[in-house]
Amino acid sequence: MVELGVSLGSLQMKNPVTVASGTFAAGLEYSDFVDVAKLGAVTTKGVSLHGWEGNDSPRIAETPSGMLNSIGLQNPGVDHLKEVELPWLQGQGASVIVNVSGHSVEEYVAVIEALEDAPVDAYEVNISCPNVDAGGMTFGCIPESASEVTALCRKATSRPLIVKLTPNVTDIAEMARAVEAAGADAISLINTLLGMAIDAKSRRPVLARVVGGLSGPAVKPIALRMVWQCAQAVDIPILGMGGISSGEDAIEFMLAGATAVAVGTANFSDPHATMDVIDGITRYCEEQGVTDVKELIGGLIC
Amino acid sequence: MGLEDSYAKVTSNRHLHGQLYLMELDCPYVAANIQPGQFIHMEIPDRQANILRRPFSIFDADEDAGRIEILYQCLGSGTDAMATWEEGFLTRMIGCIGRPWEVPYSAKSVLLVGGGVGAAPLFLLARQLEENDVQTDVILGAATEGALVCRKRFTDVFQCEPSCSTDDGTYGRAGFATALVEEALASGATYDYAAVCGPEPLMRAASKLLLDAGVATQVSMEKRMACGVGACLSCVVETTAGKKRACVDGPIFDAEDVVW
Repeated sequence: MVELGVSLGSLQMKNPVTVASGTFAAGLEYSDFVDVAKLGAVTTKGVSLHGWEGNDSPRIAETPSGMLNSIGLQNPGVDHLKEVELPWLQGQGASVIVNVSGHSVEEYVAVIEALEDAPVDAYEVNISCPNVDAGGMTFGCIPESASEVTALCRKATSRPLIVKLTPNVTDIAEMARAVEAAGADAISLINTLLGMAIDAKSRRPVLARVVGGLSGPAVKPIALRMVWQCAQAVDIPILGMGGISSGEDAIEFMLAGATAVAVGTANFSDPHATMDVIDGITRYCEEQGVTDVKELIGGLIC
Repeated sequence: MGLEDSYAKVTSNRHLHGQLYLMELDCPYVAANIQPGQFIHMEIPDRQANILRRPFSIFDADEDAGRIEILYQCLGSGTDAMATWEEGFLTRMIGCIGRPWEVPYSAKSVLLVGGGVGAAPLFLLARQLEENDVQTDVILGAATEGALVCRKRFTDVFQCEPSCSTDDGTYGRAGFATALVEEALASGATYDYAAVCGPEPLMRAASKLLLDAGVATQVSMEKRMACGVGACLSCVVETTAGKKRACVDGPIFDAEDVVW
């Protein structure tokens, strides 16, 4: 019997596996394939105060071993989340991380305040979405603004606060240190890498927004490198993600220093991907004689 | 009916014309549960580069044999890979997804309009209408005579001769299928319902003609899709009620609700 439980700050997870925000909605759409209560946590789609329309179509493009998206945080707003998705998740017995988005510092805080009386286990503050003009990544690229958002969200809640970082920066470790100093309980990374795709025949961009966020197996080496760099830089735990589609991928992130992991784009390839990752982690531990998965965190030999 | 991710085994895969292929697969779950207009989301196995599944409507299904047919057009690396699959190749498909065609129970006369490979999701509907003795007219358009790959199947199964148009005039009426819709309406034909599937300009133009004539009309929207189950919001369609997901809120939409 392998002990799979981990602590992401004060968030207790029954296993290290959650989903990457935006790839799983709030889980209902996957309920024919996945018992959401079996996940370490469900991380919900980014939510803003009054909802956003998102970007024009086409919103996605497949690229070799990856995909670009420019959804633009389309969401119906925090009231809808409270009235529909959160009660459903509670009924399923799931642990819930809500991904919080905003166009302004005030909006992030207002979303958290609106959720304080709702069944939420942790917040993930999204200062890293590359697909919105205001907020999102613009907060996550400058240490001072990342620090400001984190500090104000910290004041608004005593619940576990995870800050999601963008890889589209010169020095990810500097960003990690800034949000740690501002009171984050954990960091999650990486959000998508800014990229683009062009249709040579039509000479036009494939995405209506021209640029979008790259995810999938193609980004895994970059994600591993950044998780490893952050693990050297901060003492708070790391939720690692970027191209994870198997148990072995997840183990690699834990060895690089992640306490927990998120499965994202792989949900699109295989709706059972999260369950396969949990099974794969267990199998690896059994084969390697690991009795507690926590032993693997930061266990890279180099 | 819940969604299943089922294994499907290729039983035949043949080239029809140009970029058009017809694949037959063993997939009893889908064969038994598919409703006309719904689709499946198919994995492209053994291709590390192709991480996303591909959505396909079901052209025909035989529940007793557990078989389905998919009419597809090679338009990229995923469909190009599909064209190489041989008998026995194993893949997986999520099904049966989405809102089916909704022919009013009272409908006595129905028009089906298909453009190019867009005729694919209409054949199963035609079969259902035939079984229910609903008078059905079929209009098919394609680029050339060779590309009118569905025509013979309609003729063989229903002994009905679809009205056809080709862009180059090599078969039937020269021009677009919309001209045939216009003609049918002008000749006094009345329909209780119309189903239109094809390129968006065709669906838009045909819908306008049909709605103006007071015909309840539905269209099948095709958008770039990632998850295929309603989670990712990649495939949204603009409607009078805001953005809707082509995968689970569609793919069939009431034409009057679509903002083209």
